[in-house]
Amino acid sequence: MNLGDLSLFDLVGVLVGFGLTLMVFSYIFGDNVLFRSALHIFVGVSAGYAAVVAIYNIIWPQLIAPLLFGTQSERLFVVIPVALAGLLLFKITARYSALGNLTVAYLLGVGMAVAVGGAIVGTIFPQVLASTNLFEFSAGERSDNLWQFVKGATILFGTVVTLIYFHYGIRASSEQRASFRSWTEPVAWMGQIFIAITFGTIFAGVYTAALTAFIERLNFIGDFLLPMIFNL
Amino acid sequence: MRFKIPISISIVIGVGFIVLLGYFIDLPILVVMRQVLLQWAVALAAVALLVGLANLFNVHIRKVTERQKGAPYSLLLIVSLVITFGIGIIFGPTNEWSLWIFNNIQLPVESSLMGLLAVILVFASARILLRRVNLLSLVFLATVVVMLLGAAPILGFEIPGLHGSNGLRALIAQIPAVAGARGLLLGIGLGTIATGLRVLMGTDRPYGG
Repeated sequence: MNLGDLSLFDLVGVLVGFGLTLMVFSYIFGDNVLFRSALHIFVGVSAGYAAVVAIYNIIWPQLIAPLLFGTQSERLFVVIPVALAGLLLFKITARYSALGNLTVAYLLGVGMAVAVGGAIVGTIFPQVLASTNLFEFSAGERSDNLWQFVKGATILFGTVVTLIYFHYGIRASSEQRASFRSWTEPVAWMGQIFIAITFGTIFAGVYTAALTAFIERLNFIGDFLLPMIFNL
Repeated sequence: MRFKIPISISIVIGVGFIVLLGYFIDLPILVVMRQVLLQWAVALAAVALLVGLANLFNVHIRKVTERQKGAPYSLLLIVSLVITFGIGIIFGPTNEWSLWIFNNIQLPVESSLMGLLAVILVFASARILLRRVNLLSLVFLATVVVMLLGAAPILGFEIPGLHGSNGLRALIAQIPAVAGARGLLLGIGLGTIATGLRVLMGTDRPYGG
């Protein structure tokens, strides 16, 4: 990146990005004014941009444009969502906020149905299918099939003990903590081991992604500072 | 105001079951109704985002006008929000001014926060290990070390038994990590179904019924 080749428009952009990067990284030395300022600017910009995208890509083409410029059938089609949107806007006021509950109920109904449908079709079925597929043996070497069986049995065992870990025999109350039934306790302990390994694997993945972003930012800072230092 | 409760519940139940049935029954009318209801929900979710934005704006305006703690930060938030929203509405989200804001403010802060996570995670995990050393935390740490060291050859050198398709890293990733993740996913799926059905049957009413 040669700063001399940039237009004023881009140069200001690089300067702003550089400043904000340093402000965020100042958190390494503890919570401070610069970090908080960068965060508040970020929240404001993100919220503003998200709203603009929502208006341009969804609200205008799907609600307002059909209502104002659409055919008779298009107008009829958007009458209900426009009415529900109007009711939702009452949520801004404290006094008439309850009027927006109808729209919230609609969104929850659709959202929950999508969540339940998605959980069944997208999680339960594929995971159960993948568990049964582990025991599909090929007509190859016997040792390969034995290894496949050991692998499948371990995964099945790990899946079951992990699920058992989340099963408590007695409900938690103000006087008593939730506890396992006596026979599930050792099994649930093994489930915890599998969960610890899974979280360790996920942590390593997240850490690698974070480290990549960290290196990219350091590279950006280097690209910005090094030409200035060597031009002096 | 009493009549509102049954209306809200009947909306949740009616809309929810039409969408849910549309997933499993291949009836053309159900599929079309599901698509229409989903399309309306997407539009309403966008309006809900605007309501959230208005609420954010109100909260921070109140902080500034009442000179509460953190008012200068709230002012920064409001100014950045108004400028971004104004420029975006006038010129559009793909205009060079809007993209300038996105590329030079939002993206650097996002990736810097992600980068900061690399530093914070090291401190946080070290702190947890110092405070509570038990078998589970040791298993967690050992897994992290194996997964990170085995991710790529170290200075071009592959450690036998760690790297490669038959190494320890691949073994952990393919067997115990899959088992735990599958158990967690099934648990989340079952929990989602239980919670969803409670709302769809009107037992839980988070919409104020």
